[in-house]
Amino acid sequence: MNKDAQMRAAINQKLIETGERERLKELLRAKLIECGWKDQLKAHCKEVIKEKGLEHVTVDDLVAEITPKGRGKEYRCGFTMLPRLVLNSQGQAVLLPQPSRLL
Amino acid sequence: MKMEEMSLSGLDNSKLEAIAQEIYADLVEDSCLGFCFEVHRAVKCGYFFLDDTDPDSMKDFEIVDQPGLDIFGQVFNQWKSKECVCPNCSRSIAASRFAPHLEKCLGMGRNSSRIANRRIANSNNMNKSESDQEDNDDINDNDWSYGSEKKGLWYLPFQNPNSPRRSKSLKHKNGKWGWSNGNYNNSTGISYETLGPEELRSLLTTQCGVISEHTKKMCTRSLRCPQHTDEQRRTVRIYFLGPSAVLPEVESSLDNDSFDMTDSQALISRLQWDGSSDLSPSDSGSSKTSENQGWGLGTNSSESRKTKKKKSHLSLVGTASSLGSNKKKKPKPPAPPTPSIYDDIN
Repeated sequence: MNKDAQMRAAINQKLIETGERERLKELLRAKLIECGWKDQLKAHCKEVIKEKGLEHVTVDDLVAEITPKGRGKEYRCGFTMLPRLVLNSQGQAVLLPQPSRLL
Repeated sequence: MKMEEMSLSGLDNSKLEAIAQEIYADLVEDSCLGFCFEVHRAVKCGYFFLDDTDPDSMKDFEIVDQPGLDIFGQVFNQWKSKECVCPNCSRSIAASRFAPHLEKCLGMGRNSSRIANRRIANSNNMNKSESDQEDNDDINDNDWSYGSEKKGLWYLPFQNPNSPRRSKSLKHKNGKWGWSNGNYNNSTGISYETLGPEELRSLLTTQCGVISEHTKKMCTRSLRCPQHTDEQRRTVRIYFLGPSAVLPEVESSLDNDSFDMTDSQALISRLQWDGSSDLSPSDSGSSKTSENQGWGLGTNSSESRKTKKKKSHLSLVGTASSLGSNKKKKPKPPAPPTPSIYDDIN
């Protein structure tokens, strides 16, 4: 376990140092907009804001409501369009769009 | 070194994938967070709901799904039956004809200037030719006043081309062309098939009438038109009116054979012989003067006056024709017919 944790830490560190993480982040952002993930989240945001009232929305509220949905692990509210990361045959990580599933 | 060892040793697919998934999850969470911050800022700054339309406008632009209408709710043939009022002439025009009408009405299209120019040219021609006809008409007609009718013709260039006035003047034009032919460049003729015998006879008394080979139409020039000979005219009259037809210009007892250059030589020689002053036949200049002198002696003063006037530009043919015509008219008083003859020569 320790090794894995160490390894993960090491990899992260390496990513940050080389600037690869930033690059990956930008890439992901573009990909998320492309597949409609951002629009979905925005619609959800609007609902939350209308619930809470425009004046009283805080960052924490938003984060608490939206992040789970954004991560795609909130099964109650349905899937988001979060692409899946898959390693293809050549060992490359590929983002595949999630198929829309009806609840 | 330590790290490399670690990485090399931990390399198997499942672990790699797990690690990749974790990194991915981290990145996604970062993105979420970033998104939340953006939204929160938009809400607090007040521009979060700016790109939304209000529900009333949403209702206006809803997609229409009824039979007979398109998605905007418009009917298909709506503009066919609609009528617009022209701002220029205040007439109501059908919508599909509105644009061409406006073009003509305002006189601003490509075609309208062309049509206007053609109309001007036509009305100039018509005015020139009709000014004589109107004189003839108005002598006969007592029904309408002269001034108003003339105004009506000239100030309305958009008159119906089939109006009775226009057709009437055209008919008269063809019939009475002989009086004023000398001034116009005549390119129209008459097709004789459509004329009845009475009309033919009246035409042939006033016009040349020789049928052109190219157009199969009768020549509408005067009886003395230089394009055709008397022989041709006589042939046409015999063809139409029978063998007893006579050329209308036969008024004297003199011979009416066609007038060639050979005849002119004989005439001139006869004149010289008639003349009393000294002459040499080879001298053309003196022969001309002798002609005049001969004429002055032998004929009326009016005729000699006319020949003197023509002295400067009389060619041989000219002299011949004038001599010939004078010869024919000698027994009659020369005053009325001769002016027209000299007009023809001019």
